[in-house]
Amino acid sequence: MHMANELLSVPVATGTLAISAAGLGLVCRKARQIITPDKLALMGILGAFVFAAQMVNFQLPAMPGTSGHMVGAVLLAIILGPHAGAIVISSVVIIQCLIFQDGGLLALGCNIINMALVPSYLGYFLYRTVTAGPFSSLRAYIGAMLACMLGIEAGAILVPIQAAISGVLVVPFSTFLITMLGVHFLVGFVEGSITVAVLAYLQQVRPNVVMDSLPGKIRLSRKAVLITLVIFAIIISAGLSLLASGMPDGLEWSYAERPDQPDFEAAVSNEDSTIAAVDDFQSKYSLLPDYSVRTSELGKAASQEVETSAGWTSFAGVLGSCLTMALIWLIARLLRKKQPAKA
Amino acid sequence: MHHAHIDKFAYQDSPVHRLDSRVKFIVVLIFTAMVISLPRTSLSILTCYAVGPFTILVLGKIPLRFAFKQILLVSPFVLVLALSCPLYDKTPVTVAFGPFFWQTSLGWMRCFAILGKFAVTMLALIALVSTTRFSDLLAGLQKLGLPKLLVIQLGFLYRYIFVLIDRAHHILRARAGRKLRNLGFKTELKIAASMLGSLLTRSIDTSERINIAMQGRGFDGKWRTLSKLQIRRADLLFALTAASFMLGLYFFVRPVLQ
Repeated sequence: MHMANELLSVPVATGTLAISAAGLGLVCRKARQIITPDKLALMGILGAFVFAAQMVNFQLPAMPGTSGHMVGAVLLAIILGPHAGAIVISSVVIIQCLIFQDGGLLALGCNIINMALVPSYLGYFLYRTVTAGPFSSLRAYIGAMLACMLGIEAGAILVPIQAAISGVLVVPFSTFLITMLGVHFLVGFVEGSITVAVLAYLQQVRPNVVMDSLPGKIRLSRKAVLITLVIFAIIISAGLSLLASGMPDGLEWSYAERPDQPDFEAAVSNEDSTIAAVDDFQSKYSLLPDYSVRTSELGKAASQEVETSAGWTSFAGVLGSCLTMALIWLIARLLRKKQPAKA
Repeated sequence: MHHAHIDKFAYQDSPVHRLDSRVKFIVVLIFTAMVISLPRTSLSILTCYAVGPFTILVLGKIPLRFAFKQILLVSPFVLVLALSCPLYDKTPVTVAFGPFFWQTSLGWMRCFAILGKFAVTMLALIALVSTTRFSDLLAGLQKLGLPKLLVIQLGFLYRYIFVLIDRAHHILRARAGRKLRNLGFKTELKIAASMLGSLLTRSIDTSERINIAMQGRGFDGKWRTLSKLQIRRADLLFALTAASFMLGLYFFVRPVLQ
């Protein structure tokens, strides 16, 4: 579920970075009032635990050769409370990006929202709702299962939405959405089962960990969660409405000129002369100069000359860059070999 | 404390390693944004952009094989997405590259553009991380406004990742030694759960001991570092070079190569 940079446009990336930064800042300020210095070590170690837990894999049924592992967002939210849990999982996502290069730097905002903030708070809210009242282990298990499945699905839904708002999707939106939902239904199921199994183990070995008496535990008022969810829904629906206007924009590029339908009318026409000039310039110097459709549409014969010259420019660019890199590498190598001789 | 396999290169010494972490971080961020904002079908200019991170890797004495291995390791998700492009976009185009012409589809062009962008941005990120110690990066990020709580959390996390990964290795080896075949989902799940549970309880115990030890040494929730951050002339020079490289590519090379 780690998003890569390529799935996002710059505005969406900066927007989500800003949202996640604001969210994290808020959470940190909230948590600062409750988290005393003696809980810092616990939070850090539980973050490291998430990494170690991802190494413990187990065979999945029906699919020989595949194995699943735990992610742990909901488990940590249950054990530590949502604020501390969200901080821990966010730090895990940041480390995954910076140390292990999993997920892009610009996509960090999206990844924090999708994998840390949403599963932690939504999961904790669901768990709390189901287990309200006196503690019963059956309800705790059902709550944990539900929390895992829905928390992960909610994060997974956001991935295609963010990609679609960016307008970079080549795959149809619905296909991508259904694939993500299907895959993460399985992921959520596995996560739910393992979380429940771990809870059951802890119930036997350390019942106090499950029944919220661990230091660092914070209760969350239901009102606050509801308000957050409503705000979140508004943001998402606003994003979706952007999507509605954004989709044809992204598709226009390939559908405005359809080679298979000569009388297909371009969806967008702009009479501005500067834009036409820029278009002309672009089509002349584009990397793929031979859009025979485009050139004929502009009322010009596809001239071989233009093609060859543009082909040569891109060739020169690639060749020049490769040569530069080779040169740098060679010089560095020569210098390095000389150094030990000097010393 | 650092891990032998992942960030060993951050502890080397080179002109690039000595640069201020804040400058490097911001440059990489802007570079990534510029690469991402390239049109979806421009391929050849990507090699021009690749020169930047490549130079830093070479100057920082990072083995290139390490960088490429790291890129391959994290690529599966992007690979699936990129390879699905040719299935959906079959608009035929002719590609001209030097003396060669060939017919292909737009989907393939996009597939390669996505992979190329991925490789270039990852190269930049690897160049940043493998030439900067994590503690310096954290100190820089704190100066840039990362909340203090998150900085402490990241510091602790980084310090103990490799300890706990070692522990997980021990548990996994024990399981591999005792379990010689697939036992079915239910038993497998139960085994994994007790492994995770014991790892968790041990982690909680460890954290209590660490906490007592730190309290005994006067830890009051503040994170103090020895490293002094200051922008020196070399940093300004680096920032200037990077800026002129990117601006040059943007204004002079991009319109020609587009």
